[in-house]
Amino acid sequence: MTQEISELMDSELETGRAGRAIRRCCGEDGCRQDWLAYHAIGDVMRGGDVAGARSTRRILDAIREEPTVLAPRRLRLAGAGRVALAAAASVATLAVVAWIGLQQQAPSSPSLAAKSSLPGAAALPASEAVPGVQDYVVVHRQVPAADFYRAVSVTEAVPR
Amino acid sequence: MNSARAAVAAASFVACSSLAAPPGDPIDWLQRIVTGARETTYTGTVVHSAGSSTVTSRVIHVFRDGNEIERIESLDGPRQEIVRVNDHIQCFHPDSKTIRTDKRVSARFFPSLLLAPPAMLAESYHLRLGGIERVAGKDCQWVILEPRDDLRFAHRLCAHLGSGLPLRSAMLGPLPRRQVLEQYSFTDLRLGRDVPAAEVRGTYEPLAADWRRDHQADEEAKPAATGWTVQSPPRGFRLVHELQRKFPGRPHAVSQLVYSDGLAALSVFVEPAASPAELRETLTQDGGLSIYTRPLGDLRVTVLGEVPASAVRQVGRGVVRAAVSSR
Repeated sequence: MTQEISELMDSELETGRAGRAIRRCCGEDGCRQDWLAYHAIGDVMRGGDVAGARSTRRILDAIREEPTVLAPRRLRLAGAGRVALAAAASVATLAVVAWIGLQQQAPSSPSLAAKSSLPGAAALPASEAVPGVQDYVVVHRQVPAADFYRAVSVTEAVPR
Repeated sequence: MNSARAAVAAASFVACSSLAAPPGDPIDWLQRIVTGARETTYTGTVVHSAGSSTVTSRVIHVFRDGNEIERIESLDGPRQEIVRVNDHIQCFHPDSKTIRTDKRVSARFFPSLLLAPPAMLAESYHLRLGGIERVAGKDCQWVILEPRDDLRFAHRLCAHLGSGLPLRSAMLGPLPRRQVLEQYSFTDLRLGRDVPAAEVRGTYEPLAADWRRDHQADEEAKPAATGWTVQSPPRGFRLVHELQRKFPGRPHAVSQLVYSDGLAALSVFVEPAASPAELRETLTQDGGLSIYTRPLGDLRVTVLGEVPASAVRQVGRGVVRAAVSSR
């Protein structure tokens, strides 16, 4: 079922099956929830806003249930030109959501949160000890391994 | 280098280029790397890995009329594209319809990693040549930079025999583990292709007329005498940039000093501390990145860079007001 919704969103179902999927989605509550959640995933990935914290919960639940697909599945529409990987999308979205969550709790790098302090200084996790240090990492690296500037732009897209 | 490798090197070199035989001096090789990274025209795919993160990018680099024009398009994750003309950086984010502009002061753009004349590097690193290896279908010469102290990491660069363009680079942790902290590598590379100007200008530039332009990093970062200096920085580290930056959401300008030994760079930031809770001395190292903070009166000093923790601590503890007469 979730597979079918994902394909429907990616315009991969031929007309007859698409019609049936849409009718089913209108009639079943669970299916409608999935449909909304998948659109929310799309919105997040396009840098848009997600409507409310409840959708974040739904997204995370949906991601948890989404099987990991390790090989791209065949495109059903000839010449569609896009490879729609629901699982890959879920993983990417999970990273974005996790990042936004961290941003709201503490403006610090998630990668800095879990590491050891060294002798000669207070033993504190960097996320607590160095608020705002992520800005400095971005400025220092300027345009490095993409993730840093990307994180900032996603953060800006979400109203605080 | 043993004679068999030398023979392979010589044979490959004759095959690849009509230039004279490659020099055997590491400083000459580093000079070839500087020139090769800047003046070679190429298109290729670069994989950058640091810790558990891996990012693949497509890179198009053109050298024309003395100018470097480079386009870097990320192939993983959200779409993103960087267009660099010499030290001027434009970063296109189609997902948020944003263009960021900045000037290169401390960024590491593989394969252009050297920030100082090669002779300067000998002050901080023992230089030697390693073996010849095949990377992305091309033969390259390893140049090995072993740190002279424990205040920087070891680096290795593998320079294409014909052009000097680095095909792979690695930053390595200390002995005995010698783990790879960061690595860049071409996985495919086409040299000397005549790239049309439109292709270098970027995928998003024609679409970006109404995108939000974020000049904050570029325009609000002004070269300035910050009034700060570092007493006894690690050997070989010199002040290469000094500026005042503004950050979104921060009322005060932040002073930034950039120090480099020619390969590794670290940034010193000084700003008013937002709250007393921040006023603690901390030192952390995450893979190749080290971060140090300490209070300085009502101010906070932060030092970070791709160097061992001991280096950011030494620099951070040496931050003092600059004498007025020295400026």
